[in-house]
Amino acid sequence: MSRRVLAAALLPLSLVLAGCAGTEVLDAAGSSSAASSTSGGATEGSTAATTPAEPAGTALTVEVAGGQLAGDTGRVPVPLGDPVTVTITSDTADEVHLHGYDVTADLPAGTPVELSFEATIPGVFELELHDARTVLLTLQVS
Amino acid sequence: MNLLAHGVGSRTDLPIPLGLALYGAGAAILISFAALLLLWRSPKLGGPGSGRPLPPAVQRFVESAATRRALQGMALVLLGVVVAAAVAGPPETRRNLAPWALYITFWVGLVPASLLLGPVWRAVNPLRLLHAGLSRLVRSAPGGGRLPALGLWPAAASLLVFLWFELVYPGRAEPATVAAFLMAYGVVHTGLALWFGPGWFAQGDGFEVYSTLIARLSPWGRRDDGRIVVRNPLANATATPETPGLAAVVVVILGSTAFDGLTRTVWWQTGPGAANDSFSGTAGLVLSIALVGGLYLLGTRLSGRLARQPLGVQPRRYAATVVPIALGYTVAHYFSLLLLDGQTTWILASNPFGIPGVDLFGTYGNVVDLTAVSPDTIAYVQVGGVIAGHVAGVTLAHERALLSERHARASDQLPLVIVMVLFTVGGLGLLFGF
Repeated sequence: MSRRVLAAALLPLSLVLAGCAGTEVLDAAGSSSAASSTSGGATEGSTAATTPAEPAGTALTVEVAGGQLAGDTGRVPVPLGDPVTVTITSDTADEVHLHGYDVTADLPAGTPVELSFEATIPGVFELELHDARTVLLTLQVS
Repeated sequence: MNLLAHGVGSRTDLPIPLGLALYGAGAAILISFAALLLLWRSPKLGGPGSGRPLPPAVQRFVESAATRRALQGMALVLLGVVVAAAVAGPPETRRNLAPWALYITFWVGLVPASLLLGPVWRAVNPLRLLHAGLSRLVRSAPGGGRLPALGLWPAAASLLVFLWFELVYPGRAEPATVAAFLMAYGVVHTGLALWFGPGWFAQGDGFEVYSTLIARLSPWGRRDDGRIVVRNPLANATATPETPGLAAVVVVILGSTAFDGLTRTVWWQTGPGAANDSFSGTAGLVLSIALVGGLYLLGTRLSGRLARQPLGVQPRRYAATVVPIALGYTVAHYFSLLLLDGQTTWILASNPFGIPGVDLFGTYGNVVDLTAVSPDTIAYVQVGGVIAGHVAGVTLAHERALLSERHARASDQLPLVIVMVLFTVGGLGLLFGF
């Protein structure tokens, strides 16, 4: 008898887990619409003409001057699978490192450097100045 | 590596979808009230005397000094390798074995190991071997008489020190930090064990107490007649002795995991934690633990007041019931770390000193596969872990209330259940990332 009571108490859990499968579709739809608006913003002007088969890609820029950051800093959402180009300009020489993807590039003072990669790994990753230990931006790939 | 709070790692999890967070929170509330109304009305889980004993030969083997000394000897060798790698290996964190071995494989791996095998670190603890060797030179333990009064408070302090190094100290990922921490930990705890006697490890060594506490939710227990038994993990948890300081240990574990989740949110990274220094981290860690502790004291004492029971013993009486909630938090926050970044340990172990051409296990050329577990799986495990922990916690608290008073009214348990709902909804909020 008590076993049946326990089962009754646990029933809502199974309902919840079944219910979650329903939200997944909703969330996937939500994030893909958010993604298309992001990539649309990056390639303004050519969105109507190009075919949707070609991914637009994400272009980001960060400037470092006197220890201050400007441009696309903070948490930056990127759609999974998108080609991403980050252009970094720094007033001091350093090395940039994108964790997880393990992409690094030397950063000479005053010269813009482009970091290009395909956003194939989902998760949250930091783009960091190796010597100064400054986090330039956090990439949220989903 | 600045914003990633836990010791090391190259990635953090995506925020869980809003729908999943809301379903989880709703389920937590629904289950709690269903539990109060529907669960059994007299204690039924079985106490310290329950369980099916293992064959005597198995128990003799598990408990024999030879087995334990052999395991401790192996652990001591591994500890030596990790410390040596930290001192003499490559200076970069991502190529040095020690931070990955300590923060991920050992600290996070201790949880599944204890859950499946029981209190493993008590059997394997290499400091016990060091102490056994040194205690032949020292005649007696002068502080032994004072140890019982300390309860588990030393373990709470020991865990807090480790967690500060892991979550707050800015140089936490440096191999030199890991080397210094491990050597200091070994010296301090072996020294304290010489002073207080070998009983120190079970009360003061944070790692051992953590493993023993998680093992309370394993199927392996010790019956009150000394036999090692297999029993329902919930009965095992119910049999946890009400030791002073137990609540403090649980609160430190839960509060620090909540702080780790907090530091991954955009709110923390752009707000209170933007300075990203020791001060903001220390304040955040202390406040998180204080908030969890305050809520816990409030819930247990209010429940005790409603049931007209002495208030002083309430916090430790219910401490074991919060262990599943803390375990759910731990699974949610560190499961992906162990499976994804944890691969690094096995790659670097093939060449601990970074010598060109060395590849002991043929794994040094492997690359960490950060896509081995999909984001959907991670999100389901996170929410599932938190909710399962909540269900077990509420169930255990119900049994404890009935044990303390045969005809306890269900409504007396309401304050503690509400606090548990707050912990669970708060935990889901941290996973959602605000």
